[in-house]
Amino acid sequence: MLIQVINLQRTYQMGSVKVEALKDASFQIKEGEFVAIIGPSGSGKSTLMHILGCLDQPTAGRFLMEGQDISAVSENELAEIRNKKIGFVFQQFNLLPKATILQNVSVPLIYGGIRGRRRQLELAEKALQQVGLGDRLHHRPTEISGGQKQRVAIARALINNPALVLADEPTGNLDTKTGKEIMDIFRQLNKEGHTIIMVTHDQEIAEQARRVIQIRDGLIQKDEVIA
Amino acid sequence: MIWEILRMAVNSLTVNKMRSFLSMLGIIIGVGAVIAIVSVGSGAQMQVTSQISQLGSNLITISPGIRRGSSGRISMTSTDLFTMELADQLQQNCPSLARIMPNLQTSGLLIAGTNNYQTTVVGVTPVYQQIYDFYPARGQFITEEHEAGATNVLVLGSGLATELFPETDPVGQKVKLFVRNRHLLFVVVGVMEEKGSGAWGNIENQAFIPASVLMKKINNRKYVSGYTAQAASAADAKAAVGEVEYFLTRYLGDPSQFRVTSQEQLLETISQVTGTLSLMLGGIAGISLLVGGIGIMNIMLVSVTERTREIGIRKALGAKRRHILTQFIIESLAMSGFGGLIGIGFGWLGAAGVAKIGGWPLVVTHTSVLLAFSFALLVGLFFGIYPARKASKLDPVIALSYE
Repeated sequence: MLIQVINLQRTYQMGSVKVEALKDASFQIKEGEFVAIIGPSGSGKSTLMHILGCLDQPTAGRFLMEGQDISAVSENELAEIRNKKIGFVFQQFNLLPKATILQNVSVPLIYGGIRGRRRQLELAEKALQQVGLGDRLHHRPTEISGGQKQRVAIARALINNPALVLADEPTGNLDTKTGKEIMDIFRQLNKEGHTIIMVTHDQEIAEQARRVIQIRDGLIQKDEVIA
Repeated sequence: MIWEILRMAVNSLTVNKMRSFLSMLGIIIGVGAVIAIVSVGSGAQMQVTSQISQLGSNLITISPGIRRGSSGRISMTSTDLFTMELADQLQQNCPSLARIMPNLQTSGLLIAGTNNYQTTVVGVTPVYQQIYDFYPARGQFITEEHEAGATNVLVLGSGLATELFPETDPVGQKVKLFVRNRHLLFVVVGVMEEKGSGAWGNIENQAFIPASVLMKKINNRKYVSGYTAQAASAADAKAAVGEVEYFLTRYLGDPSQFRVTSQEQLLETISQVTGTLSLMLGGIAGISLLVGGIGIMNIMLVSVTERTREIGIRKALGAKRRHILTQFIIESLAMSGFGGLIGIGFGWLGAAGVAKIGGWPLVVTHTSVLLAFSFALLVGLFFGIYPARKASKLDPVIALSYE
């Protein structure tokens, strides 16, 4: 089992008010699944994604990744898990604007302890070729289109060969046609065996996954397999 | 990985060139000022000491002590202590003294035909030449016979000679000395050599007469204002000071009535004073280094805020606290280090400029360069820690959603 979420809770203290972003969430995700987490804004889906991405830790409940309890590890271990086991794809692309796309893709390798700058850049170049950007290596993010930026982000997410690709509204900043291209890439990656969790508020996008978990007011409402 | 972080740091500095330069300015000025000041200090010191040793070597000055005034009496120096006989006794009783002469001088108007010149007239004995390493270029100096017979002869400094006798050879000419409302007639027997440029320009315009003439015919006093003695070597100079002090204490009965100063002590005092002065000025320049550090900290804090999102991205991709910490500290170090290098260049140029104007050798010591540079790095490190820690502690979730 790749992911086990058991009675997960996350509350924020906003001044004197307690906000319960996640009230009680439980589900499991196996290797090779393509899951969409869908819900309106304020439903708690971003909070859930932050915990699944090891960027945040739950207030109560347990989150196990490959059997390891993430609720109880140190900040440094969290960073290492993010580096090795999780690949992020964001709505805002989140590329470093002043670095070339080749440098951008190599960033996880720098923190991942792969030695030798030349080796790092070779790996980054290969990853960019796989998403069809082998001819743009030395462009900066400002010089390429939104769809290309998202493909750079995907290359960066895959560079350390993670157990899980976590996409947060990956098509939110793209037009319909480009969004469809990105979704095709995700479906292709899933076919190749990658586990993908995608957070979105768009029903149409969500239906392209193979399983949809619906969340509202911090509670899981529906969990269904589409085909 | 350190290389990669260093490269990233340099990159981010070159993105905002003007801003990086302005933040480095404090360090540049600080390092430059420290190096220039220390260099100017040691250059000036070298020049002053070389000028003092040019005057003669291993000199000892014996002068009256200062009596402190109390209950209404003003402080004063004892003036009737030193006689010519005492000089002879010192010579006999202090074996380390090679020679000794009285210090005697007055001010008077020298008249030759239609030319006249107000100047210092020095009463000398023949040993003056050896003591000050200063000899006549033409004619002769004051001799033992002149001194013993109190003959009215006079030796002109080279500058004075051209003032009084612009066209004729002064040797053998007559000059009148007007002093204390009296005229005295002298025969010029010699003209001194040129001592060369330096702080002692007025020595070229002095006139020299036998000490006995000055005492008997002008001052009408048997006392002199002090003595200048010379030891045979630098090692003897130290012994000579002790011998003179011992003898005079016994002779005069009171050690507070006289002072014995060796040239070495004078040089020591001067180098102490200039050393303290450069240390103080260097310290003030060091403060500007500190201020430069605050400038760096300020810009680093701005940079951390601006790059909050970048920090969030890096953390999401697996950067640990220490990675972010190292990145920002290296940025701060790169700024102070680069600023320090530019500062060394400016300091060097400044020191060279002042040395050229002052006419002394350019001395830039490794110590001052190394000290200023490492202090700059230390400042960069110290003031970089706080912003870097702030950056490394950012919560990735909050940093990622920062606009």
